[in-house]
Amino acid sequence: MLFNSLHFIFFLPIVVLLYYLIAHKYRWALLFIASSYFYSVFYLPYLFILYAVILIDYVCGLLIEKNEGRRRWWWLLASIISNIGLLGYFKYTNFFIDIFNEIAPLVHVSKHIKNLDIILPIGLSFHTFQSLSYTIEVYRKKQKAEKHIGYFANYVLFFPQMVAGPIERYDRLGNELRINQRLSYDNISHGLRLVLYGLFVKMCIADNLAPLVDEVYQAPQNYYSSSIWLAMIAFAIQIYADFYGYSTVALGAARILGIHLMDNFKQPYFAKGIQDFWKRWHISLSTWFRDYVFFSMGGSRVKTFRWIINVLFLFALSGFWHGANYTFIIWGLLHGIAYLLDKGISNYLPNQIKQMKLYSILSMLVTFMVVVIIWVFFRAKDLTSSLVILEQSINYGFEAYKHIEVSWIPLSMLGIFILFEIAILDSRIDNWIASKHITFRWLVYGLLTMCLLLFSGIKSIPFIYFQF
Amino acid sequence: MGCAFLMLVLCLVLSNFIYEKYYYRQDLKESDAEMLLKLDSLQYSSDVLYFAESSNATLADDDTCLLTIAQMIDSLNPEKVVAIDHGAIHAKTYKSLIENIKEDAKVKTLIVTLNMRSFGANWIHSKMETALMKANVMYEQIPPIAKRVKLAFNGFDNQNDQMRGHVMEDHWRHDYIHLPDTFPYKNVRTWDNAVGGANVLDFTTPDGDWDMPRIELATSYIKTYAFSIDTKNNPRIKDFDEIVEIAKRKKLKLIYNLLAENTEYADSLVGKPLTDVMKENAQMLIKRYTDKGVLVVDNLSVVAGEEFTDKRWTSEHYTQRGRWTIAKNVANAMSVK
Repeated sequence: MLFNSLHFIFFLPIVVLLYYLIAHKYRWALLFIASSYFYSVFYLPYLFILYAVILIDYVCGLLIEKNEGRRRWWWLLASIISNIGLLGYFKYTNFFIDIFNEIAPLVHVSKHIKNLDIILPIGLSFHTFQSLSYTIEVYRKKQKAEKHIGYFANYVLFFPQMVAGPIERYDRLGNELRINQRLSYDNISHGLRLVLYGLFVKMCIADNLAPLVDEVYQAPQNYYSSSIWLAMIAFAIQIYADFYGYSTVALGAARILGIHLMDNFKQPYFAKGIQDFWKRWHISLSTWFRDYVFFSMGGSRVKTFRWIINVLFLFALSGFWHGANYTFIIWGLLHGIAYLLDKGISNYLPNQIKQMKLYSILSMLVTFMVVVIIWVFFRAKDLTSSLVILEQSINYGFEAYKHIEVSWIPLSMLGIFILFEIAILDSRIDNWIASKHITFRWLVYGLLTMCLLLFSGIKSIPFIYFQF
Repeated sequence: MGCAFLMLVLCLVLSNFIYEKYYYRQDLKESDAEMLLKLDSLQYSSDVLYFAESSNATLADDDTCLLTIAQMIDSLNPEKVVAIDHGAIHAKTYKSLIENIKEDAKVKTLIVTLNMRSFGANWIHSKMETALMKANVMYEQIPPIAKRVKLAFNGFDNQNDQMRGHVMEDHWRHDYIHLPDTFPYKNVRTWDNAVGGANVLDFTTPDGDWDMPRIELATSYIKTYAFSIDTKNNPRIKDFDEIVEIAKRKKLKLIYNLLAENTEYADSLVGKPLTDVMKENAQMLIKRYTDKGVLVVDNLSVVAGEEFTDKRWTSEHYTQRGRWTIAKNVANAMSVK
């Protein structure tokens, strides 16, 4: 079920109503049914894949806790192989078939394998990672194994965040799900503010920019460099608004049920460096990779060369997590290189310079532009298209090129969005609105509602991160 | 709570006013739903509305007569006949549009194309369906701002292409064919696989190679026509049934124009079993709707194979001679009854 659907607008109040009406001991069952229904709206058969993930990790968690020594490791390995195996089959099979088909003729193998007709279950990368974090934590003895399969199932299935995160940890979400939440004005009002703002960001910003981006990216060779730059910047804003909007609705929906999810974004385009950017962008994934991959490779305690390799590997892996395409790996690697350069430069720069206002502004601008350029590899359909876009971005003055036309609607929506983002700097929209006078609050609600009614995109653009 | 409700109502009323005045027409255009504007004006200036997909206006390259089928019927009929047409639309769209015909409209007769292909999985689950369903929202009889909300909040069938492909495959596996028990294939997929595997029919070139274009064309005919219309579950049956009810309610005379299909090619490529299925479906449709009081014009086999403009795939696109044949049949039927 999509957040920006009529279906969800009716679904959420019904679930909330039942949630607060029924006794706490039955709530897990309600959430389980509601979450299963939420997911089944996408494609019912794939719900059983999720159930398989739940069952395997539930059993593995118990067995890891029960056993000692080598056996613990084997059960953790079983969990890792099951999760990564599922992810690998659904997400990467065709990618590796393509590689085989490309390499086969070079080594004189005449066999050609046909691509499989596989639909990637929505959000598989998210819930396998979330589930996996639980078994790893149990293995590390930082988390007790969950005995109640219902609660564990809800940890993996919890509908507000099951398909696109934030990727939660059991010590946070699992425990929150067990608390007897009481109906409170605070939770409802904060939750609704987040839902309203999240929908505004997704539907009025991301969905209005998407047609412009799609038009240029479909045939970049036809456009002036100014239009290419416009599309590149528009995509950077689109993907942020798309994912941030989704995450904000997720936070809001969970908050209405009294559950606090982690913030996945902290205004990443105000970051002063790539290191800072990764502390603000898709925080739940960055911390997942840091805690379970980077630290396992030795973290920062290894020698410099090894550390550089580890950082590059981590970023490439993060890119590959996003999609089965070379472009995603390159996107990750470029971020890795930018991260290393940023780290290197900031180590050598004197503190006096770093504290200058001009330095902060310049760092912010440079970071934004670097991120915009690297996004090209993320958005373009293949490597060739990425290179065409970058080439066109510095190719001036050929008369046959077209200019992209931008209507006033996305621009004015963007203006409102930027004002909000500046206003809520170092805060969050729900807290910021709560701190204002009641008249101002209702004006904000009215403005956001009117924008949604009149200026939301109507092209049904799916959430970009659903495909991951 | 009261304050929130009041604000929401105020926002809706204000938005509806602004939207209808400034942006509604733009959204009709963006949703490819401008037929509604056409219908709004034509229902007051014509006697007969001809609802059709691309069969109405597609011409052959060497046509000297550039009239559409509706224009041809108009020229053969004393009443003014105009078309409301758009590529790939089907009975669900017709139904929504017909609901928009007002009581005081001049129009008294509706001719609706009864396209047999539109009953098949190919068309029901086509990639065009999302766009069509989106346009359909704009034809609904609700306030303009409500249409916009439905579009923005995905209040229509908007499955992606890959998902539609899966559903289509599933449909083919369960699309049973009512032929004598001696016929070995029980559903579209098994028949298609057998012919596609070139095991059933002799599809070889004089050199002894597989004649791939012919094999592909034959399988495309099977996928398009080899099904017995399930009158209980086929969505098009439901739509055409509802059109009958709407026409009765609005006191409009209804004519179903059963379009010509290339039965000649179907016979030469796949053989009698396929044309038998097509004819059986046609007879079922004619009987079903004649019993409901609709005038059904049977054009199934009236156009010769060479009068179809598309030779490499199935369509209802005719040369001028084909279009005249159909137009004359419809005009004759109109004059008789």
